[in-house]
Amino acid sequence: MELKILTSANIPTFFNSLIQSGKVVVAPVLKKNGKVFFESVESYDQVSTDYIQTVFSAKSVVFPKVEELFSYTKKEDGSVEITNDLSSVPETIIWGLRPCDSSAFNYLTEFFLRENPDSYYKTRKERTTLISISCAKADDACFCTSVGLNPGSTEGCDILFTAMGDIFYTEVMTEKGKALIDAKLFTETEEKSKEAHLAKINTKFSIEEIKERIQNAYESTQWKHESMGCLSCGACAFSCPTCTCFDIQDEGTTENGKRLRCWDACGFGQFTQHASGHNPKTNQTARRRQRLLHKFKYSVENLGIVSCVGCGRCIRICPAHLNIFENILNVTKA
Amino acid sequence: MNTENQYIPYTVRIAKKTIEAPNIQTYRLEFTNSEDAEKFTFKAGQFAEYGVLGEGESTFCIASPDTRKGYIECTFRTTGRVTKALANCEEEDIITLRGPFGNTFPIEDWYGKNIVFITGGIALPPLRCVIDTLLDQREKFGEISVYYGAKSVEDLTYKTELEEWANRGDVKMFITVDPGGETPDWKNFVGFVPTILEQNLPKSENAVAVIAGPPILIKMGMPILSKCGFPNNQIFTTLENRMKCGVGKCGHCTVGKTYVCKDGPVFTYEEILAMPLEY
Repeated sequence: MELKILTSANIPTFFNSLIQSGKVVVAPVLKKNGKVFFESVESYDQVSTDYIQTVFSAKSVVFPKVEELFSYTKKEDGSVEITNDLSSVPETIIWGLRPCDSSAFNYLTEFFLRENPDSYYKTRKERTTLISISCAKADDACFCTSVGLNPGSTEGCDILFTAMGDIFYTEVMTEKGKALIDAKLFTETEEKSKEAHLAKINTKFSIEEIKERIQNAYESTQWKHESMGCLSCGACAFSCPTCTCFDIQDEGTTENGKRLRCWDACGFGQFTQHASGHNPKTNQTARRRQRLLHKFKYSVENLGIVSCVGCGRCIRICPAHLNIFENILNVTKA
Repeated sequence: MNTENQYIPYTVRIAKKTIEAPNIQTYRLEFTNSEDAEKFTFKAGQFAEYGVLGEGESTFCIASPDTRKGYIECTFRTTGRVTKALANCEEEDIITLRGPFGNTFPIEDWYGKNIVFITGGIALPPLRCVIDTLLDQREKFGEISVYYGAKSVEDLTYKTELEEWANRGDVKMFITVDPGGETPDWKNFVGFVPTILEQNLPKSENAVAVIAGPPILIKMGMPILSKCGFPNNQIFTTLENRMKCGVGKCGHCTVGKTYVCKDGPVFTYEEILAMPLEY
C-alpha cells in the first residue's frame, strides 16, 4: 500500500486526467428526480459529491444488466456461425464507490471466478479499476459495521480516498491503483487516522453471533411474518451489489440474433418454477428466506463470505419497507 | 464442457426424430464438427442445455448411454416456448448443445449388485441412459428391475424399448398406468408407481435403488425404499430443478446452499435428507 495526499483543489484535474486517458469513467451523477446513479461521465462537473449511496450499485460494470453472450448467423449452407468478442470491453474506472461497494467486488470475484470461471466477468473485472471514497455521512439504512466492514474499509478497492478538510487522504491499494497516480498531483504522506473523518454507524448485530444462530433459522416461524409485505418486485436484487442471479434469453430470429444474459431475481414467482408447473419455492416466504439465507448462510458455507455488505440499498428501495437487518435479527432470535 | 467459455454452444444435427408419445419426442443428435464429437465425453447422470437459436435453451438429461458412440439422444416433452421450437425441428435441422454438466451415477460401485429403477412419466429418459449403460455390460450386475408408470398406456415413453427389455428375460419389469389410463388389452399393472412399488417390494440386500420422477414420486418413493431396507446412501435420485446456466451461477436450481446443476443432479437419499425440501 502507498499513502498519498491529493488536495481537494486538484481533484477535478485528477478526475479529468482519468477521462483524458481514454478510459470509460463511471461516477455518481445526480438525476432530475433527486437521486444519484452511477453512469459514465465526460467531466468532473457532472459528478455528484453529495450522496450517501447511489440507488443501484456499480456491479453492472462487471456484470451488466443485459449482456451479450454471443451473436449468431445462419449461413446459406445451413451451418451456424457463433461469434463472441470480448476484446471490445473498455477499460473502465469506477469513481466514488462507497467502501461497502468495493468490498462487494471481492465477493463477486470469488463467486464468478473460483469455480467454473466466467470469462465475461473475468474480462470485465480485469479491465476495471475501483476508486472508492470513504463515507463521511450515513443514514438509517447503512449497516456496514454489522457485517465486518466500516465507512473507511479498503477491501476490494484499488484506491481509497478519505476527505480530510482540504485534502483527500489517498490509500493506494493495488498496482492498478498505482498506475493512475500522477506524481505531479499527489504528495507523499505518513499514515493518518481516518476515524474522525468517517461517518458513525452503530452496529445492529454481531455478525459472528448471527452466523452461529442462523444455522437453525430455516425452521424459524418468523419467516412468514418477516416476508409478509414482499411484493416480489425484485428491486432488492436489482439494487444489490452482490446479487448475481440471471436468466438467459435469445433476441432475434432463427436466422440471426444474439443470446443474452439478463439479471433475474430469486424473489420472482417463476424463478424456480418447473416446466410442469410445480414450484419448489412455493410462496414469497420461501423466496425471501432463500434470499436472506443466501446472503448470511449459504455464501458463508460455499465461499466463506457473508455476501451482504450492509450498503442498505434494498432497505431504501423496498416499496414494502422490508428491512434486511431487522429480518435477520428476527429470524435468528433465540 | 467448453472450459474457456461455458456459454458458447456446440452445434448438432438432428439425425433421427422419434415420436415416443403425445408431445414426447426423442432426438438423436450428431455433432456437426467431428472435433467437438471427440471433446464431448459424458457419463450417465449428466445433462445438457439444448437450444434453438432465437428461442432459447432447455435443460434435459442425456438419455443415451456413453457406451453407444457417435451420437447422443435426448427425450423431451413439449411444454413451453423452447420445447415447442425444438419439437418443430425436423431431421437434418441444426440445434445447439451445451454440456455435459453435473455429476454422475457411481456405476462402477454397483458392480455385482442388484439394481432397482423406479420412475414415472417423462422421468424415464434420465434413467434410460443408466439402464442402457448397465444392459451394455449386463454380466457385471445382479438382478435388474424397472418400475415405471405413466398416466396412460399412450403416455408411456420408449414403448419399443420397454418391450425389448421385457423380452430379454434378464430384466424384471413392473410397468403400470394410472387408474383409468389402461386400455382393454392392457396386461400390466394399474395403479400409481408408489402403490405398485409397495405391493411388489424389491429385495434390499446387496441392492441399489435409483429413483427419478416428478418430485412427488421422489418424495413418496424414497421413504418406501428406505423402509424396506435400502441404506439411505444406496438410494439414488436425480433432481431436475429449473436451470439456465448449468455451471452454478444463474441461481435458479438451488436447494438451500446446493446447486443442483453442479453439485448434482445425482444425489443419495442421505444427501437429500440433509437438504431443505426445495425440489
